[in-house]
Amino acid sequence: MEDRKQILKDLLEVLKTVRTIDPAKLEGVTEETDFLADMNAPSTELINIAVKVEQKFDVEFEDDDIDRLGSKVKDVIDLIILAKERSK
Amino acid sequence: MADPKEPIYHETLVGDKPKQWLLHGASKRLIDKYHYHSPKVGVVASYTPKARDVKDHFGIFRGVDQIESFAQASIASCGTYSQCKKQNCRPADLSDDFVPVFLSIGSVTYHNYLQKGETFINIGIIKFYKFRQMICDGRIYKVPPGLDLDEYFKDFTDERLLAYDLPKDFKLIAELFDITGQAIKKEIFNSL
Repeated sequence: MEDRKQILKDLLEVLKTVRTIDPAKLEGVTEETDFLADMNAPSTELINIAVKVEQKFDVEFEDDDIDRLGSKVKDVIDLIILAKERSK
Repeated sequence: MADPKEPIYHETLVGDKPKQWLLHGASKRLIDKYHYHSPKVGVVASYTPKARDVKDHFGIFRGVDQIESFAQASIASCGTYSQCKKQNCRPADLSDDFVPVFLSIGSVTYHNYLQKGETFINIGIIKFYKFRQMICDGRIYKVPPGLDLDEYFKDFTDERLLAYDLPKDFKLIAELFDITGQAIKKEIFNSL
C-alpha cells in the first residue's frame, strides 16, 4: 500500500505536465479518479500519459497493456506495478 | 499469416499501390500514388480529384476530403506500414484483428482550394508513433501541371521533407496539425 501511495504521488507529478489536464482537477485525486470523466482528459491523451509514465517510472508497456488499460488512476498504478514486476 | 517466401513489405511505400495499404473500397480511396516515404519520418503521396469527388460541390474538392486524403497518406498508410513491419504481416492480416480509427484532428488552416483534375500532394510528418497510435502534422500543396512527381521526388530527403522544401510553383493549399489515428483491437472497438 505504501508503494501505491508513492506511485500516486509520482504519478501526480507526471499529470502536472499534461497540457490537456487542468491543474485544478489534480486537487484531491485518488485511485478512483477517472482521467476521462473526472479530469476531462481527451481519450487520446491516455497514450501520451502512458508514454510520460514509462519515462518517469523507467518501465516499458506493451501495446496490449494499453489496449487493456482502464481510465482510472488505479488502472495506471496497477500497470506500473505489473511492468515493474515484469522487468525483474 | 503471409507466405514466408514472399516479401511482405518493401523498404518504403514507394512503388506499392495505395490499395495494398488502404483496405476500404476504391470510391473512398483518396490517394493515387506514394512518391516518398521514410518510415520513421514521413510520406509524400499524391491524388488528383475525380468527377465523383466534386459532384454536387461546385467542381471543388471538399476541405473535409483534403483531410481524409491527408489522413490516408499519413496516419493510415504510414501507421499500417509500421504495424505490419512490427508484426511481420500484411495489411489484410492486420485487419483480421484491428480496426483503423481516425481519432482526432488538432487544427487545419486552409489557404486555397482544389478543383477536379488538379493534382495535389500530401506531405505528412510523423510526430508520434507508439502503442499503435500515430500523430502527424503536414501540408497539402497543389502541384504544377505536368510535373513528373516520381522523377521530382526520387532524390528527396528527410531534411527537405521536414522543411517542406519545395519550389514556389507548388501552391500551399492547407496546413494540418495533430492528425491522430490508432489501430484498435476489434473486440475493444466493438465494445465502445
